[in-house]
Amino acid sequence: MKRTLGWNLALAAGLGFFVALVGLPFWWVVSGSFKLPREIIARVPTMFPQSFTWQHYDKLLSSSDYGTYLVNSLFVSGLSAVLTLLLAIPAGYAFFRLEFRGRETWYRVILLAYAFPSIVVLIPLFTMFAKAGLVDTRLALIIVNVAFALPFAIWMLRSFFGSIPREIEEAARLDGGPPLTVLRRIMIPLTAPGIAAVAIFAFVTSWTEYVFASVMILSDAKRTIPVGFSGIIGQYQVDWGLLLAGASLAILPVVIVFALIGRWFVTGLTEGAVK
Amino acid sequence: MAVTELRNVSKSFGSVRVIEPLDLTVENGEFMVIVGPSGCGKSTLLRMVAGLEIPSDGQILIDGTDVTGKEPSDRGVAMVFQTYALYPHMTVRENMAFGLEMAGMPKAERERQVLTAARTLQLEDYLDRKPRQLSGGQRQRVAIGRTIVRDPKVFLFDEPLSNLDAELRVQMRLEIAKLHRELGATMIYVTHDQVEAMTLATRIVVLRDGRIEQVGTPSELYADPDSTFVAGFIGSPRMNLVPAMVQGGDGAGHALVDVPSLGLKGYRAPLRDPHAALPGEAVFGVRPEDLIWTMEGETSDIALTCEIVEDLGSNVFLYNAASRDASIVAELPRGVHPAPGDTVRFRISDGTSYLFTEAGVRI
Repeated sequence: MKRTLGWNLALAAGLGFFVALVGLPFWWVVSGSFKLPREIIARVPTMFPQSFTWQHYDKLLSSSDYGTYLVNSLFVSGLSAVLTLLLAIPAGYAFFRLEFRGRETWYRVILLAYAFPSIVVLIPLFTMFAKAGLVDTRLALIIVNVAFALPFAIWMLRSFFGSIPREIEEAARLDGGPPLTVLRRIMIPLTAPGIAAVAIFAFVTSWTEYVFASVMILSDAKRTIPVGFSGIIGQYQVDWGLLLAGASLAILPVVIVFALIGRWFVTGLTEGAVK
Repeated sequence: MAVTELRNVSKSFGSVRVIEPLDLTVENGEFMVIVGPSGCGKSTLLRMVAGLEIPSDGQILIDGTDVTGKEPSDRGVAMVFQTYALYPHMTVRENMAFGLEMAGMPKAERERQVLTAARTLQLEDYLDRKPRQLSGGQRQRVAIGRTIVRDPKVFLFDEPLSNLDAELRVQMRLEIAKLHRELGATMIYVTHDQVEAMTLATRIVVLRDGRIEQVGTPSELYADPDSTFVAGFIGSPRMNLVPAMVQGGDGAGHALVDVPSLGLKGYRAPLRDPHAALPGEAVFGVRPEDLIWTMEGETSDIALTCEIVEDLGSNVFLYNAASRDASIVAELPRGVHPAPGDTVRFRISDGTSYLFTEAGVRI
C-alpha cells in the first residue's frame, strides 16, 4: 500500500508526539543532572544544558549513602528476579504440561494474590516477618518481591510454553529426553523471549518497590534506592541537582538490564520448526 | 526391525470412541500404510504405537515385548511428524544427534552416525544450518534423518508429505520408498492420500470411523474391495457406484442386474461368493478405467451423454453430469474428445464390475 505525503507527515507527527511524551521527562532528568544549580532553577528553563558539571554526582556518591543504596537495590532486585525465574519456570511448565486435579482452578487462584493492595497485607506480613526475625533484612524484601512477581510470571510463562508446537515436545519425548532435560534443552531456549520479559518484569517491580522497603528495613545501611533516596531529599532540603543525579543513576541499571536481556526479544524463534 | 502387533486395541477420549477394538499385525520389514479420511482415527492409531497416546484397552507388542505402558523412548520407535517438529534453535547436526545424546552415546560415535544418515539423505552440506534456513523438503529430510540415526525397530510416519507442494511430494515419496528398500525396516505410515498409499505400501489398512475396513496389498484393495468405502477410496477418479436391482442369479457365479442410471438391463455382474444370498436392491460399481470406449457399430453396454471432458494429458475423463456426486466417470482413450451433449458408448471390461449390498458390503 502506498501512503500519501500527508499521511506520512501525520504518522511522523504522531510518532514524534509519543516519543516526546515518553522521552522528554527522561531528557529533562538526565540533562538537568549535569547543569549547574543556578541553571536548574533558572526562571527560563533550558532545553539544552548551557553549563556542564559533575558536582551533583560527586556530592551524591561522596556525601550520601547513595552507593550503599544502589548496591542494596541491585542485590535485592537481581536476586528477586533470579528467584522468580527459578520458581516460575518449573511452575509455569507444570501448569502447562502436567495434568493434576484442579489445575485450572489453581491457575486462576494464584492471580488472587493481586486482588489485595499491598498496604492491606503490610501489617500482617510485618508481624509474621518480625516473628521469623526477618525484619530489617534484605531477605525480607526479596521474599516479598518474589511473592508478588511470581503469580504473574507463572501466568506469562505458561502461555509462552503453550505457544510452542506440541509436536516439538513430542519429538523430544520420542528422542528420550526426561522432562527436566526437555525443559532445559528445548523449552527454555524456545521461550527465551518470554523468560526475558518475566525477568525484566520481576527486576523492575523490585527495583521500584517502595512500601515494603520503607517498612521492613529499619537501618540506613540496608535501604534500597527508592527509600534511601527519598531520605536524601529530606535530609538536605530539596537539592534539585542531587535529586536529578540520583534519579539518573537509578535509571541506569534498568537500562542496562534491558540492553542485556532485550537481545533475547527476537521474533520468529520457532520459525522453521513446524511447517 | 520388528513385528508390531496390536491386540484388541481401542481408544476413547472421554466418551468419544475414536478407535474401536482392533487387531493388526505389521510384519517385519513391512511398509504398512494406514489410510482413511480425516477423523478416522489413523493418527491416533499411530500415536498409540509411538506411545504418545495410551490405549484405553488392549495391548501393543513390538518384537514380542508388551510396550503398552512404556515411554515412547523405550519402545524402539522413531517418528516423523507432519509438521517436521524440528528443534528450531539447534542445527541440523544437533537435531539429528539429540536422540543419540539422550541415549547416552559417546560424542564421536554420534558424529559418525549423523554423518552416515546425512549422506544417505544428501544433507551433508546443511549440517550446520538451522531449520529456518532450510526448504520444506530439506526440513522433512532432517526429520527423517533424526529417525534414521536412532536405528529404530519401527519407523512411524504421520502424514509426512502433506505440508509439501505437489512436486516435492512426489520426490520425497520416491525417497521414502528407496529408504525402505535400503533399510529394510518396518515402517508404519499414515496418510489420507490414496496415491501415497498405493505407491508406497506393501500392505494397506483402510480405516473408517475407527474400524479397520480392509487390510491387503495395494492391488488386492484395488481389484477386490470388501466394501463400497474401500472401492470408493482406492483408485482415482473413484469407482462409479450406482443403485441397481438384482433380478436373480445365473447359477454360474453371476447376478443379473438392472442399472437404470447406466441403462443396463439383465447385466451379468460377477459375484465374489457365487452362493451368496442375493438382495433385491444393490449397489453396482465399475471403475472409470474399466469402461472401454467403443466406436460406432461395436457392441456396447452403456451410453453416456457427455457433459464435461477433463483432459489431463495422459488421461481423458468424461463426466455425464456437472457435479461429481451425480456423475458417471469414464476414461477415454487419448485423443478422443467428444463435445458436450455428444452420446458416447462404452463396454464394461469383462469381469470388472462389482456388486455391493445397499449397506456397502461386497457380494
